[in-house]
Amino acid sequence: MDNAFRKIDIDAYDEDVLQEEELFDADPRDPAQVLDDAKQRQSAVRSALARSDVVGALNTVLENAPYGPNVEEAKTVTLQTLLTILNTTKATEIPAVIKALSQDGQDTLMKYLYKGMAMPGWGDISGSVLLGWHEKLTEVAGTGCIVRTMTDRRTV
Amino acid sequence: MSNVLRPYLAAVRSTLTAALTLENFSSQVVERHNKPEVEAAGSKEVLLNPLTISRNENERVLIEPSVNSIRLSIKIKQADEIERILCHKFTRFMMQRAENFIVLRRKPVPGYDISFLITNTHSETMLKHKIVDFIIQFMEDVDREISEMKLSLNARARIVAESYLTAFNS
Amino acid sequence: MAPEVFNIAQTPITCHAFSADHKQVAVSLNSNDAQIYTRQGAAWTPTETLSEHDKLITSIDWAPNSNRIVTASQDRNAYVWQQTPDPQTGKVTWKPTLVLLRINRAATHVRWSPKEDKFAVASGARAIAICSFDPENNWWVSKLLKKPIRSTVLSVDWHPNNVLLAAGSADMKARVFSAYIKEVDDKPAATVWGSKLPFNTICGEYASPAGGWVHAVGFSPSGNVLAFASHDSSISIVYPDGPAIYNIRISSLPFVTLTWTAEDTLVAAGHDCQPVVFSGSEAGWQGVGSLDDSTSAKAGAGPRAGPGGVGRLNSLAFSTFRDADTRGHTGAGGTPSDTKLLTVHQNTITSVRPYEVRGGRVSRVSTSGVDGNLVIWDADNVSAVAGAFGGLRV
Repeated sequence: MDNAFRKIDIDAYDEDVLQEEELFDADPRDPAQVLDDAKQRQSAVRSALARSDVVGALNTVLENAPYGPNVEEAKTVTLQTLLTILNTTKATEIPAVIKALSQDGQDTLMKYLYKGMAMPGWGDISGSVLLGWHEKLTEVAGTGCIVRTMTDRRTV
Repeated sequence: MSNVLRPYLAAVRSTLTAALTLENFSSQVVERHNKPEVEAAGSKEVLLNPLTISRNENERVLIEPSVNSIRLSIKIKQADEIERILCHKFTRFMMQRAENFIVLRRKPVPGYDISFLITNTHSETMLKHKIVDFIIQFMEDVDREISEMKLSLNARARIVAESYLTAFNS
Repeated sequence: MAPEVFNIAQTPITCHAFSADHKQVAVSLNSNDAQIYTRQGAAWTPTETLSEHDKLITSIDWAPNSNRIVTASQDRNAYVWQQTPDPQTGKVTWKPTLVLLRINRAATHVRWSPKEDKFAVASGARAIAICSFDPENNWWVSKLLKKPIRSTVLSVDWHPNNVLLAAGSADMKARVFSAYIKEVDDKPAATVWGSKLPFNTICGEYASPAGGWVHAVGFSPSGNVLAFASHDSSISIVYPDGPAIYNIRISSLPFVTLTWTAEDTLVAAGHDCQPVVFSGSEAGWQGVGSLDDSTSAKAGAGPRAGPGGVGRLNSLAFSTFRDADTRGHTGAGGTPSDTKLLTVHQNTITSVRPYEVRGGRVSRVSTSGVDGNLVIWDADNVSAVAGAFGGLRV
């Protein structure tokens, strides 16, 4: 006898139930444009790094970072760009760099740190670099910054 | 203590502290029920983004927060076959006695070796920062415990081998 | 003046409400009963138990003028308690009246309206029940505010004009509704929130900036400003006429409760275990400091815990572990100094309420916490904690 109907989650069909996509306002930009932006920023960051302007490079990446569904590629590009910056920054410079960021920047950076740590294959980054940044960022921005990473559905 | 371990545990500590902001929340799906939302997963809006903290590919912690409960899963370092066996036996031993550990989950989340489920009742009856301390201490001790067991296992194997081989020595 | 600390119980206090003369307090000790404590000198002794609910009581409010208590519980019910003399013995006891809430999930929060002729019950049924007394049938009837709430309502607060109601809910929004009931209310005067106010008008909807549940809402004493605290560790202040929203992100754990003490100051408290004062005006808002000054005095000595310190990482626990590792020094977490937090409350503060009003300002506030403590603070005794507010900016 067919009893698959017993496993249907009827609560999901309640019209009042909140769906995943209703939890945040979607990014108004077009996915292709977001990807273009991300690639342009990559080169902007390279030139900023060549001038050893770490704060400028970080601000470029963290501003208007892609979020939401359909922009996976742009997200990956942005993460890679960010990881290059993190990798090239000297450990002694980190606190000053973080303090120079805006609160929005700090919150977004925290999201990327967790995203970096959640990636299964590491690419070209070692865990200790991310953990080092995480520690410094928590010292400056506090646990509140981590709470915001948890609550904000605009995942990067 | 190695250099990488400290920031790793520090990151777990701060993330766990941030996640342990629980409150009593009665289910909005089933009336008169009150269940850990992270396990029931009935309403999306009361679940938060899960966060991963990793030291390397083989050692990581997953923290899944929600409004009234959090789930914390640990992947313990397993360098070789012996460590894998020891780790499995060790966690199994504890999970079979999960009720004595209060916050321990009976079954780990897939991909991890051991999971904890902390609900608002736990954070009400116990001091919040002591729960955090407990988890951190557990993470420290479990590594040490397993490497100790591995050492004594090797030592034992050596003694057995020596006494066996003495028979051919004469 | 140092805060007055009363340890009421070893269990969490989920909510508290003082009587008008402050001689009695009704608390819920994380149980199905509401307890009334009477003050005797420096101690509180339990005098009466209000037991009718069969699930956890989530909220209590005590109407100061009409001396009625309303309790809300996870069993989907609310009761109004009134002191009536027993017909046989003449002894005065609290008698419950059931309220027809018509909700099918837990009631989460309850507040009397300023005129005490209505009360609002927030609930997990994605609705708010506005209850008023029906003298014909001698019971409390309710009308539901439903649209556009999408999730559990976590808190409500009344506007001083007795009509508008603010609500914070788990769908990450704070809203202002009209709770105008024809039979009870006179036609309200126009406010900054709107002029035409039939029942269930939405006068404002504000999302929390980083998507956290809105734990607490509050109208300023004049009713022209709304503040809400959300789970993304931030507090927002809304000026509806000048479309300005000030958002303060804090560097420590989220607040779950708040109360205004004057038109330009409010006190918020929560998972951080200490009440924090914010002040400002239409021009901008900022954190001023904490009412809990024990932290600043000892913050240097205790490297661990305490607000802000929770996130500070090179902590005592680590050095204890290191000691245990290198020197075999056991006693990880055994020392008493390590077990105790530096704040007065040892666990999350569940509710903060005005206690005493003097000269138009709330001069003292009371807080209750998960640690079973009831504390009365001097609201003007603010100590700036430099360390804890390092990351605090508007």
